[in-house]
Amino acid sequence: MSQTAAAKVEHAFEFRGNGWEYFRIWIVNLALSILTLGIFSAWAKVRTRRYFNGSTWVAGHNFDYHASGMRILVGRAIALALLLGYELSVKFLPPLGVLFFLVGLFVFPWLVVSSIRFNARNTSYRNVRFNFAGTDVEAFVAYMVWPFVGMITMGLLWPLAQKKKDTFYVNGHNYGGRYFEADISTARLYAIFTLGLVLIIALAAALGTAFVYLISHGPSVSGPLSYLLSKKLMVGAVVLAIYAAIAFIGPAIHTMILNLVVSSTTFDEKHQLKSTMSPIVMAWIFISNAILVLITLGLFYPWARVRARRYQLDHLTLLIQGDADSYVSEVFDTQSAVGEEIGSVFSFDFGL
Amino acid sequence: MLGRYFFPNAARAVHARAVKTDTGLLRIEELDGGLLTEAPLQAVKISSRLANLPRRLAMPNGGCFETLDNDGIDALIGEMRHLLGGGWIDRFERSWRAVVFAILFAAAMVAAYVIWGVPATALALAKATPDWLATTISTEGLKSFDQHILKDSTLTSAEQHRAQALFDSLNHAGACGNHHCELVFRQGGWIKANAFALPDGHIVLTDELFRLVKSDDELTGVFAHEMGHVVYAHGLQRIYQASVIPAFIIVVTGDVSQVSQLAVLLPTLLIETSYSREFETDADRYAIKTLRRMGKNPAAMAALLERMEKQLCGPKGCPLSWLGDHPDTARRARMMRQLP
Repeated sequence: MSQTAAAKVEHAFEFRGNGWEYFRIWIVNLALSILTLGIFSAWAKVRTRRYFNGSTWVAGHNFDYHASGMRILVGRAIALALLLGYELSVKFLPPLGVLFFLVGLFVFPWLVVSSIRFNARNTSYRNVRFNFAGTDVEAFVAYMVWPFVGMITMGLLWPLAQKKKDTFYVNGHNYGGRYFEADISTARLYAIFTLGLVLIIALAAALGTAFVYLISHGPSVSGPLSYLLSKKLMVGAVVLAIYAAIAFIGPAIHTMILNLVVSSTTFDEKHQLKSTMSPIVMAWIFISNAILVLITLGLFYPWARVRARRYQLDHLTLLIQGDADSYVSEVFDTQSAVGEEIGSVFSFDFGL
Repeated sequence: MLGRYFFPNAARAVHARAVKTDTGLLRIEELDGGLLTEAPLQAVKISSRLANLPRRLAMPNGGCFETLDNDGIDALIGEMRHLLGGGWIDRFERSWRAVVFAILFAAAMVAAYVIWGVPATALALAKATPDWLATTISTEGLKSFDQHILKDSTLTSAEQHRAQALFDSLNHAGACGNHHCELVFRQGGWIKANAFALPDGHIVLTDELFRLVKSDDELTGVFAHEMGHVVYAHGLQRIYQASVIPAFIIVVTGDVSQVSQLAVLLPTLLIETSYSREFETDADRYAIKTLRRMGKNPAAMAALLERMEKQLCGPKGCPLSWLGDHPDTARRARMMRQLP
């Protein structure tokens, strides 16, 4: 490839929030949500998103979030009604449940698109909003058809389904009318999934062997039923080993996929994103966060979220071709798409 | 007040200054004094304060002034503060007293909800559940048990008659309240010596438990205990409890993200098992009361319990487990042997 284009300048993302700040927002949100029997939680979500968007900086500017709590509340009420209707009908009136399921098959893609669009349109950077232009049909293919194909092929085409889903998500997004585009390598996606499968099996086998060894060489249980008891323990140990392997490998694989998808993304055909998170560090952050949240009875939750977000952003960079300010000024000065009416379109956040 | 001004509907920004004029206008000007835009303060949409994030002043012309000077903005708004929504939440967040109060309040409410709210909700829902629903749940439940765990009973018809007679006498004595209890025989599979009640009054007895029983009073005790579960609608309550707790956690935390998944699962499990132990104690009390009323000896149940434990965990008994969903055997046996 020839180096005809201007050099790309790296702009690192930065998280300027901190745990204490978010803790105070979180605990006040929590208390008010309880006090209002959950109604305030819609506004709590707006404050939370505003805080996380607002604390995210790149190239000298931060992001913002503009949603109204009322819209989120309505969206949640609709989602809750649908979910309750489905749960109840599946449990108690299976024929109605089937009907609900069939309708849901078509409603779900609409919910997904609506939620993504809602959040995109309510997110801004430098006074310009994002938008999402993916269609319901595309969502149906990406979120329903492909996972189904992935399943009936015994997971053989699952990485391809993942690719379709992520491509749909990225390519649907635009910023001020300029599009994002993900060109995800199928081969690398397959490599990641294969690696994940091998690692899970290997780790589960190693842990399982270790547990079984410990049990069979540890203090023995006497009595006529000790054989049965130890067999039960063995089965438990193996199941535990599999869970532990998934708990560690799962987030690591997720991180590798995220790295791949983000780093395969270009904006307006010339600018690039790059994510360089370490899968092992992310897995460790996930597991240690879960443990810390648990032993602090939930109080660590704000620090856990900030910690994960900071690590993610510290390893995210934006490569801009040429000067950021002049590019932005020139391209987004008189965009017709920029000032698009937000409120006129029927879209809600369903928390998906 | 210094900041940046974004031109209407554009990403282009210049360094700018915001000043309040004598005529009550908010004037956004370039650093050298050139006018960018101005508008009456009431027409400007000012974002609410949140931590130390930059504030945005949306001007009527579509332009936007952005500044990190939060205090400056608050001073500028001054007496107009009441026109803005959300300012009071920010004052809560910045006040240490309010934050400490919020922690205590949230903790107290969560504790109260777990101790009283969940059982009360589950009980109310269980009472409001129509009979046809309880029947459907029970039929489906038994069907799935039959598919995965239980097998057809291998008891002889004489053995079944003996158990049925004891069961009928309990039914006759009104031990099942206004429910109609029915006895179901099955081979236990891996659940071994066991008995359990379905919400609609079907009570399943495994062959293994029947063979472990040494006297009629022991078996009567088992039935009375299970009938206690039916009368108190424990089965339905457990179903509702299992769904009420995660729903509550989701409502309170907004959404279940990856961080909190494990953190939701474990408390749910712990809370549920502690409710379940309470149910077992209630059912034991009910059985003791019923047996006494029928002139039988509840201590027989204690003997059976101890035998079951020995079979399960050897002569030393089972290790104490606070995760177990039955209260510890010694305590249950003591309660059954107590004199009235």
